[in-house]
Amino acid sequence: MIKRNQLILGDKSMKNITEDIVAPVESFPGRGWSAMFLGANGLFIFYITVVGIVIAYGMGLLGVTHPTAWGTMIVTFVFWIGIGHAGTLISAILFLFRQKWRTSVARTAEAMTVFAVMTAGIFPLIHTGRPWLDYWLFPYPNQRGPLWVNFRSPLLWDVFAVSTYATVSIVFWYIGLVPDFATIRDRAKDRIRRVIYGALSLGWRGTARNWSHYEMLYLLLAGLSTPLVLSVHTIVSFDFAVSQLPGWHTTIFPPYFVAGAIFSGFGMVVTLMTLVRIGFPQFKDYITIDHMEVMNKIIMATGLMVGYAYGSEFFIAWYSGNEYERFTFINRALGPYAWSYWVMICCNVLIPQVFWFKKFRRSIPVMFTVSIFVNIGMWFERFVITVTSLARDFLPANWGMYQWSFYDAGVLVGSFGMFLTLFLLYLRLFPAISIAEIKPVMNVGKEGSHHG
Amino acid sequence: MNEDQSEDKAYWQSLQQWARATGEPQVGAAGTSADVQGESVGGGAATGEFSSTPLKEGAEDGWARREFMKLMGASLALSTTACVRRPVQKIVPYNKQPEEVTFGVDNFYTSTWFDGSEGFGLLIKTREGRPLKVEGNPRFPLNAHGLSPRALAHILSLYDPDRLREPLRNIQNKEKGKERANHDSVATKWDAADEEVVASLKKGGVALLTGSLPSPATRAVIADFLQGFPGQHYEWDPLSVEDVRRAQELCYGHDLVPSYRINRARLIVSVDSDFLGTWLTPTTFQRQFAEGRRDANRMNKLVAFDSNYSVTGANADVRVKIKPSLQLDVVMGLAFEIIVKKQATRWAGNSQLAQVLQPFADAAQRLGVEAHVWSRLADELIQYKGESLVIAGGLPAQTAQGIELQSAVNLLNSALENDGVTVDYRRPFKGLAGAHSSLEHLIESMEKGEVTTLIVHRANPVYASPLSARFLAALKKVPMVVSTSDRNDETAKFADFVLPDSHPMESWGDAEFVEGLFAIQQPTIRPLFDTRSFQFSLMSWAYLAEKGPERLRKFENFYDYLKNYWKTEVFPRYGKGKSFVDFWEQALQTGMVGEPSEGVSEAGKGSSVIGAVRDVKLEALSGIKRTDSPQGYELVLYPTKALYDGSLANVSWLQELPDPVTKITWDNYLCVSVNTAKKENLVDEGLAELKVGELALKLPVHVQPGLHDGVLAVAVGYGRTDAGSVGNHVGVNVYPLAGVSGELKGRPIFSGRSATVTRLRGKYPLAMTQDHHSMEGRKIVVEATLKEYLKNPAVHNHKHHVWSIWGGHAYNGNKWAMAVDLNTCTGCNACVVACQSENNIPVVGKKYVIQGREMHWMRIDRYYVGEPDNAEVVFQPVMCQQCTNAPCETVCPVLATTHSSDGLNDMTYNRCVGTRYCSNNCPYKVRRFNWFSFNGNIEKPLHLALNPDVTVRDRGVMEKCTFCVQRIKAKRIQVKLEGRGLKDGDIQTACQQSCPSSAIMFGDINDPNSRVSQWFKEARAYSLLEEFGADPSVRYLTKIRNNEQETRSAESAKVEHQVEPQVEHQGGRT
Repeated sequence: MIKRNQLILGDKSMKNITEDIVAPVESFPGRGWSAMFLGANGLFIFYITVVGIVIAYGMGLLGVTHPTAWGTMIVTFVFWIGIGHAGTLISAILFLFRQKWRTSVARTAEAMTVFAVMTAGIFPLIHTGRPWLDYWLFPYPNQRGPLWVNFRSPLLWDVFAVSTYATVSIVFWYIGLVPDFATIRDRAKDRIRRVIYGALSLGWRGTARNWSHYEMLYLLLAGLSTPLVLSVHTIVSFDFAVSQLPGWHTTIFPPYFVAGAIFSGFGMVVTLMTLVRIGFPQFKDYITIDHMEVMNKIIMATGLMVGYAYGSEFFIAWYSGNEYERFTFINRALGPYAWSYWVMICCNVLIPQVFWFKKFRRSIPVMFTVSIFVNIGMWFERFVITVTSLARDFLPANWGMYQWSFYDAGVLVGSFGMFLTLFLLYLRLFPAISIAEIKPVMNVGKEGSHHG
Repeated sequence: MNEDQSEDKAYWQSLQQWARATGEPQVGAAGTSADVQGESVGGGAATGEFSSTPLKEGAEDGWARREFMKLMGASLALSTTACVRRPVQKIVPYNKQPEEVTFGVDNFYTSTWFDGSEGFGLLIKTREGRPLKVEGNPRFPLNAHGLSPRALAHILSLYDPDRLREPLRNIQNKEKGKERANHDSVATKWDAADEEVVASLKKGGVALLTGSLPSPATRAVIADFLQGFPGQHYEWDPLSVEDVRRAQELCYGHDLVPSYRINRARLIVSVDSDFLGTWLTPTTFQRQFAEGRRDANRMNKLVAFDSNYSVTGANADVRVKIKPSLQLDVVMGLAFEIIVKKQATRWAGNSQLAQVLQPFADAAQRLGVEAHVWSRLADELIQYKGESLVIAGGLPAQTAQGIELQSAVNLLNSALENDGVTVDYRRPFKGLAGAHSSLEHLIESMEKGEVTTLIVHRANPVYASPLSARFLAALKKVPMVVSTSDRNDETAKFADFVLPDSHPMESWGDAEFVEGLFAIQQPTIRPLFDTRSFQFSLMSWAYLAEKGPERLRKFENFYDYLKNYWKTEVFPRYGKGKSFVDFWEQALQTGMVGEPSEGVSEAGKGSSVIGAVRDVKLEALSGIKRTDSPQGYELVLYPTKALYDGSLANVSWLQELPDPVTKITWDNYLCVSVNTAKKENLVDEGLAELKVGELALKLPVHVQPGLHDGVLAVAVGYGRTDAGSVGNHVGVNVYPLAGVSGELKGRPIFSGRSATVTRLRGKYPLAMTQDHHSMEGRKIVVEATLKEYLKNPAVHNHKHHVWSIWGGHAYNGNKWAMAVDLNTCTGCNACVVACQSENNIPVVGKKYVIQGREMHWMRIDRYYVGEPDNAEVVFQPVMCQQCTNAPCETVCPVLATTHSSDGLNDMTYNRCVGTRYCSNNCPYKVRRFNWFSFNGNIEKPLHLALNPDVTVRDRGVMEKCTFCVQRIKAKRIQVKLEGRGLKDGDIQTACQQSCPSSAIMFGDINDPNSRVSQWFKEARAYSLLEEFGADPSVRYLTKIRNNEQETRSAESAKVEHQVEPQVEHQGGRT
């Protein structure tokens, strides 16, 4: 039997674990957190302002135009939805596969999922021409006929896919939090904390019956979430694949999008985890270099999958014999948007190759840098798909470029403000590592442990 | 103020009534709680009216719970959202409804309009007394149903918010030694102005400066007026056809502008005369040209020698790029080839002529045309003797030798016996009397101090004349200047009084465009503002001064004068056997009186010869010398299809109309050839300095494929400074670049002047609606030569095997379809403006055109084919293809776009939430999105031009061509009322109707006999992107070029050379 590395370092006792993890929730925020929070909050307010102006004056403030009728908002939507995937993958699929290393990162990855989906979910709503009528996108009994939605439209499938995903992710995440909320409640020294966390813990008593129900529910939700990991991005990819535009209309999109989503999600997890390790040094014992290395391996593997997809697209475009399809792909690599294509290739395919080397896989600065590149690259992947295909399609007389404006930059950068605000709040209000799940694995890999 | 208050009160009252009637919460009640509380007192009448409805609250409840809840709900709604429903506004029906008016039903009135060069017979569509759209009068023999973009758009000049709303007095600084300068403008009253004007008129020395006036009654008023007040009438147009008239006089002794019968010509050689675009009567010419192209066995051939890339050049079967100094070489060279070398025609062997022609023996070489091609052209001209036509004209042909050029043209037409056949001198154009020499004479007489009162009507010499500076200087010697301009324009600013003329749609008038063809201009609306027609102003002054003949003074208005004029002048000639009342009413109904000139009627009817060939006086030609063309660049000034002379510069539809060839809107620019751009280091959308003589202008650069390397071309009509909020400072005024030399008697040299160009630093984005110019080898516009077509009508029209496992929906009733004949489409843009007018399509402005946000439902794609140096142009109008398997329909999440049972792809605007997915999935990209509230910014009274049958779309909604569904519905209702079924041709879309070439056909494809079905069955018919499988309801018919090239095999037509001349677009698009 191969000797396993310890999952938790520092020879922690149960009490240590609880105290380490609960510390950020129970202590007053330091200067670093406050500064970051103010920054993120400022960005969030800026975001709200930009979106407000766009809604007040019209979509034309953004770069979307004729023929590129989709742009930053859809690109950023797909980007954030993709980010969300790692969380569900870690918490659900790895749970089902009994990957014990997941426990340290699952909570935060899930939180990231929830916030990313929230950030993403706003975009399809605000990118419409008349956002005040967005409720028409939902099928509900009404007095307009009744007038129903078009069940043939991939955008409608999107509505269901994203809302289901958001709901299940939030429930799954919340259920996992319940025992830890109870821990905080039990440790609470003032009444307000006790009441709030008491309410959040839903009357958790830690009885065997509680645990029995909890574990069964967690297992069921993990089972329910698992297909969602695949389905959400599959359906998001249908927005493109089901339409008939060269460069969009390809059958490879569902697996390609899912691989890309996991890729970008792990990229974001690594980014955030390296930051969390810096912000809360005590977490280094729980989120160890070993954890990070495993995730880097996944980044490299999915990066290769994405690279394969890029190549495959080109092959199929050539093999199809379709002149429009061929043109679209040649245009991507050599046309006016070639720069974005090569940014994408560099960030997503070339740069992650450094993880072939163990030294780099285990180096925090290297992995942080690579993860940032992966984030950038994956945003550009969606940009390449959305914008370059629209910019030059069938009739050359229609061709036209995207009109990037201040507001495009505003919604892109601003959406990070929303995400980071939520994430920073989470770090201070919720236990960022699952206390209840860490304790069972605290002895894994330990010398003389009965687990071996 | 008072009015506003009472209006407000009425508004709130109506709100209350509405609230009571519907039981809705009282929106807006917060501000007028007093009114609400007093409702039982105030709203008595209304209460009674609605008391029987079950929705009525019991009055005795008073402030009952539900009432309270209502108000709370309302105030909550008000405080939480700004989205209050549009205010309810009262509409008041006619107290006495005019007999002919039915609500919601259009009334059409015949009328006429003159655009400065071309006259149109019009049908003006009105609704409840409000003109809405201009349509061609199908009975009018000149333009028939077709119109030009300007004629279609001139309705906006009626509703122009920048029009003067009352007479204006301009206070002028008139100190000695200084020019006149407008110190201040104040409103005045007609009475006060009349008094001063009459006092000045009585002093004598009257001069009238007008544009060309084709109205006989107006000319009569002026003649009568000048009897009372001795003076002179000067007629001047910036783009006059003086050169044609002078040459006709020199060669034949007749001062006239002949009608050209393009439909009779099987071979047309055009030397810079943009007769399909801007010269003389392009709409009529276009119709005639299309007529000559429909029958493949007798298809005409157009050979264009083009200095600028004109619409005519774009439609030529053979286009040869030239520069202005080569124009004489073309015509004289052909004359040499025919008369001297081939010894053909009656002048063969005439030594005097041979001597004049000898210097042009090497013309082909100078033009860069191969000798055998040149010889062949001459052979063809001889072959089609009496069936050909040589024409020259327009600004590019007004060089220093412009009149010589016209004389040479006359020589060729007489030699080839076209004179009297295709050149109709019996029924010449009337009313094109404007001449530059006339303006020169006026200035001379002003300089001498002979003019006491100058009346300026429909002329803007300060803007549009190269003599502008002299005119201004001379103006200070004129004590009283009166302008009848409808705005305080460049010239009117220097007038003491601006006494605004009513718009043609507001006033009576008449016209005689071609000799013996009369039309009446009927007003269709009462003057919107305090304006007075020019004619009536003259009549009023004569009346006040008690001068002039009796008929000028006795009528109370110009209408009576006009009617009397017609009774005495026109009726005796054409009203035989009728009473005048019948004659007059018939004239109003049909829109025309007199005989249609044979030249403009259908081809093949009547005799082709209308007169004997006139002999050219050879001494008119003896002065023609060959000049060596200068080494440097030559300036070419040209008018554009949209703006022409610039008089309608404040019409936004025209400013945003893409130029047919360059596809640029909202600017003029310096066109340079691809090689010149390389040589002078110029780039597209860069800046350059154009220097002509002493004058240097800064202009944006446009690299134009197919331009002669020696040409620098710029459009006139731009750079207005006092046109109004739309037209001011759009582009640069290049009229001053035209030179004036004394020996030409004031006739400016518009083209051929030596010019230099230097690159300047900086960028200037041009608002192009199309930035990619090559078809990329795709089958988009299918082209064939006539030879190929005669061998195989389906040549190059490769059909794809498109199949489906699904049979498709059944269309049991009508299924609407459209076909476009690319062979007769000239890219003139009339359809684009007609569509804009019919469908309330907003204008977005230069900034947003640059960003690609233009809203035109119908666009004309233009592609270059061939080498950039000699690029040919093909046009393709693209509207919604109304696909049977529409890709847009399946992707809309809210079912805002659906298919109708008659095959239309419908758009439900108020269901649209604006996801724009439909646009992404449309392979033709014909959908347009309201990125902003373009329609929300319509300034009053421009909103009166909106078509009430078509929804005015707001922000965030997708829109597109509907095949004019409102016209289909209206016609359906009409035929139902008439108790009959729909006939083919009953329904015409706006684009089809206005197309002078009749290149668009619309109808029911389920009817095998409909004309559109016939077009569908033609071997030339193909659907755009057929292999995509959307099964569009639009077919295009192959373009055929009648030239010798048989080079384009099926393969090479498919994979064309790419024409992307080093175009560096910096404007954001490709």
